[in-house]
Amino acid sequence: MSATDLQVDERAVRRTSSPVMGMVLFVAGEAMFFAAFFAGYFQFRSQAKVWPPASVGTPEISIPAVLTAILVTSSIVLQLGLRAVARGRVATFERLLLLTILLGVCFLALQAYDYSQLTFGIKGGIYPSLFYVMTGLHMAHVVGGVVLLSVVGAQTLTGQISQRHHEPVEAAAIYWHFVDIVWLGLFTVYYVAVPR
Amino acid sequence: MAVAGACLAGCTQQPATEQAQETHRLFYITLALATLVFVGVEGALLWAIVRYRRRRADEDEGPQWHGTNRMILLFFLIGTVIVATLYPFGEITLARVEQNPQSPEVIDITGSQWQWSAFYENEGVVVSGKSFVRPLVMEVPVDEPIHIHIVSNDVMHEFFVPAFYFMRNAMPGHPNDFTWTPNRLGTFQGQCAEYCGLGHYQMRFVVRVVTPTDFMAWVKQERKAALSINCPQTSGASVHITAHNISWDTNCIHVPAGTQIALTITNDDGGIDHNFAIWNGIDTAHQFFASGKFPGVATRTETIPTLQPGRYYFQCNVHGPAMSGVFIVGNPPSGQKGS
Amino acid sequence: MAITEARPVARPEPFGRRLLSWLTTTDHKRIGILYIINSLAFFVIAGIFALLMRTELARPGQQLLSPRAYDQVFTEHGTLMIFLFIFPMLAAFGNYLVPLQIGALDMAFPRINALSFWLLPVGGLTVLSGFLVKGGAGASGWTAFAPLSVQGGAGMDLWILGIVIVGVSSILGAINFIVTILRMRAPGMTMFRMPIFCWGVLTTSLLVALAAPVLTAAMVMLFADRHLGTVFFDASRGGSPLLYQNTFWFFGHPEVYILILTAWAIVSEILPVFSGKPLFGYRGVVLAFLMIATLSFTVWAHHMFVTGAVELPFFSATTEMISIPTGVLFFNWLATLWKGKLRFEPPMMFALGFIGLFLVGGIDGVWQAAPAMDFALHDTYWVVAHIHYVLFGGTVFGIMAGLFFWFPKITGRYLSRKLGIWQFWVQFVGFNLTFFPMHILGLRGMPRRVADYAANRGWTGLNTLETVGAYIIAISMVLFFVNVFVSLRKPREAPDDAWGTSNSLEWATSSPPPPHNFDRLPEVHSLRPVRDLRLAAQGLAGEEGSS
Repeated sequence: MSATDLQVDERAVRRTSSPVMGMVLFVAGEAMFFAAFFAGYFQFRSQAKVWPPASVGTPEISIPAVLTAILVTSSIVLQLGLRAVARGRVATFERLLLLTILLGVCFLALQAYDYSQLTFGIKGGIYPSLFYVMTGLHMAHVVGGVVLLSVVGAQTLTGQISQRHHEPVEAAAIYWHFVDIVWLGLFTVYYVAVPR
Repeated sequence: MAVAGACLAGCTQQPATEQAQETHRLFYITLALATLVFVGVEGALLWAIVRYRRRRADEDEGPQWHGTNRMILLFFLIGTVIVATLYPFGEITLARVEQNPQSPEVIDITGSQWQWSAFYENEGVVVSGKSFVRPLVMEVPVDEPIHIHIVSNDVMHEFFVPAFYFMRNAMPGHPNDFTWTPNRLGTFQGQCAEYCGLGHYQMRFVVRVVTPTDFMAWVKQERKAALSINCPQTSGASVHITAHNISWDTNCIHVPAGTQIALTITNDDGGIDHNFAIWNGIDTAHQFFASGKFPGVATRTETIPTLQPGRYYFQCNVHGPAMSGVFIVGNPPSGQKGS
Repeated sequence: MAITEARPVARPEPFGRRLLSWLTTTDHKRIGILYIINSLAFFVIAGIFALLMRTELARPGQQLLSPRAYDQVFTEHGTLMIFLFIFPMLAAFGNYLVPLQIGALDMAFPRINALSFWLLPVGGLTVLSGFLVKGGAGASGWTAFAPLSVQGGAGMDLWILGIVIVGVSSILGAINFIVTILRMRAPGMTMFRMPIFCWGVLTTSLLVALAAPVLTAAMVMLFADRHLGTVFFDASRGGSPLLYQNTFWFFGHPEVYILILTAWAIVSEILPVFSGKPLFGYRGVVLAFLMIATLSFTVWAHHMFVTGAVELPFFSATTEMISIPTGVLFFNWLATLWKGKLRFEPPMMFALGFIGLFLVGGIDGVWQAAPAMDFALHDTYWVVAHIHYVLFGGTVFGIMAGLFFWFPKITGRYLSRKLGIWQFWVQFVGFNLTFFPMHILGLRGMPRRVADYAANRGWTGLNTLETVGAYIIAISMVLFFVNVFVSLRKPREAPDDAWGTSNSLEWATSSPPPPHNFDRLPEVHSLRPVRDLRLAAQGLAGEEGSS
């Protein structure tokens, strides 16, 4: 009777990129999470006569535009970093990762400033409810992303990330891009696709 | 099982509206088809259990065949045929039940924690239950389409009359409309079917289907009852009213004319909002006064401005006609409303 | 069959160290056992809640529970049964069996696996701790419809928190299952040679990964409405209670398939073993699973027919369509039995009971799929009957079948056959006595979730009967726990292939399996590798290629 040597099996397991696949699934779930809020947004928007409501007015687009630029740039930087580490240039990757984290922190700081400039509070009705909860949840995800990237950074500093072993970077990048895409969605529905 | 099935068939209530008769018929059409499937599948199961039990000392495997794609396709087809047969019946019934013919009789039903109230738009009559004390009793004329407009003041409720084979949610902010055509005289029990908190199980009501003559007599009597409410005038310029179990402690307040009134409201209902508002009448076309809304347990004092002598209507704006009464200023002749 | 080598018997370790090793374990089998123990503990608690309710409802008038207590008890009964018994119990089977069945060493992420287990008792106790705070536990029903759930005190907040914790646990668990199944199969174990049970877990996990986050979204909105001053569900300020229902049921309907799919898979695994035949239409069953999973995302609004705010014909059509693949499952089970050689061991009896009872739950759902009929039956005891025929007659009988079937693999000991058969009949009778009369009560207009009912409605007799039935079910459960207790004290006697006719890889290793699962893996050439081994040992050729 023939049987497979377990050593072979173990190698087969190690070759796979389970963290990446796990992250893809996690992000799919996260997408459903945000989709629930976007569905609510469109339901209320389709029923409203004036959107955004008069009490809110047309939102100021300048700071959010800068926020968008920051996040998109950070995604590109991280992708370049991923390419660097995949080609073995770990030092370059370290610098690009640091830049990504800094951009993330900049985003958070500027978003906090943007909140302080708003003329309406969270208790002002359905539009403020949606606006604050959706952007707030996104902000929490950016914080999560910064933490995740910092963990990857720590792994890099302790030498756990290399050309051969860089799945954590890939997984973190998927998450970061996802957070970026959610922001593009928020930016579109709250700032671009509104009557001006 | 057979006994149970027979009981299922015999246990339906006699339908009491035209729409209910349609639904009742659909029940039996579905039951016929369901019985067919039930007997077929359970029969096959029992047959397999009896016929294919392994004989003692038979250690061999069973036959090693499995399904061809054609068989699997057939399985999908059988189900499709059954569903395709059933679906049109359901849709036909739905179309008949959902018809909203023009109707002179319009009743606005309001649900609130935990009672129902009904406002007859054409007759100008309002009837209401009282939480934990007595259910709403409403009469409707037989053989006439009754248009019902239903809404909730607080949480989700559900207006359900089993004999009418019908229920519909009373929702805050999303009024619903439907039509009943009762065709059987009698008294029918109803009850809230959507769980709505502590008093849900007691949120009952009664629908009496009566002849048009009896209905007119009932309307007249309710009108008279509403107009004849009277009570002695308070001596000073202050009033104290208490909300308890979603009811006021009185349905009549009579104050002297030509003076402001100091109003003290006690709200005994922990966590539940109440306010006190004075309107021209049950149609709530014009509001003369409204106190602030506040949750219990608390007491507040506010000032009611000087009102013209006359009969007014008061209610808690949160709970509507379910918490209402007559507000009389001075000594107007009976039946005259404030302007 | 030298699949597992003889190994020296380990010396028993001191209790403290053994406990610590269980608390810190990342072994999927031990985590699976922890899942089983945890689920059964919550099953007992929720079962006691059920008995309290049935005792109160036996006669009209208030006897045992005040309405306030009743509301909390029925809410926690539903919540615990659904989120902390049925779902984790099915995940327990998945945890224990999936790596064994696909020939893997462990799950893809063992530490995340441990995390998703430990979140469960934390979440469950968070929900239950509501009983200790002022105002009592959450009392808005397991569906927690807004705006009712916006009312209520700290118990409701604990309920929300507990559900979010359990939700995170299930999402992490689901991702783990999917990656394990897709990435860690043994050589030769193609997707279509996987045991049908793994397909059930895979489909369920896809549903969990995509649906559970939507529940979290609903909980976030609810929490924000309660504490941050948002108005998502407040119609008077621009929100809508329908938003809650749409969001909740978008999760909630896939959820009911999450709660039954794995049980279907367990039954599909057991029937062939005790019929001596292959599963009739393996690919047909897989196809049915996938169709049901897909359709389950399109039927949520059939829970909302009576709101008058949904597209009735569309949701009615999708709902009835789901019965087509479900019917395919029934035909497959019957065809698997057909002309087989049936052995009535307890797992088989529970599996057959499952088919008989789940059918009733499938059929009585058809009435409600037609909106006009639903207008008469929705929110009555008919619905209570329906979900219990599906989740108790279906899933719990399936779970029992699975427990009896895999107990020898997990512990090396058989559960008593005699007690098992007794339990089956007592449970079968008690179940039907409790839940069948609920159909009739529903037709007679008794609404669900009522703490009391009027004596003059003619509901009393059937309610008393149901209470008697509930206590009979309780007896059957006592028989089960006695059986487990007694069996665990017997010596280990189960061979690798405990039932002698099994098919899938878990039966190729010892009972219980070693920590690393397999010393040597048999080569997988077909859907039934263990049968191939058996035939090879008899000098016969097994199946070639995938079936």
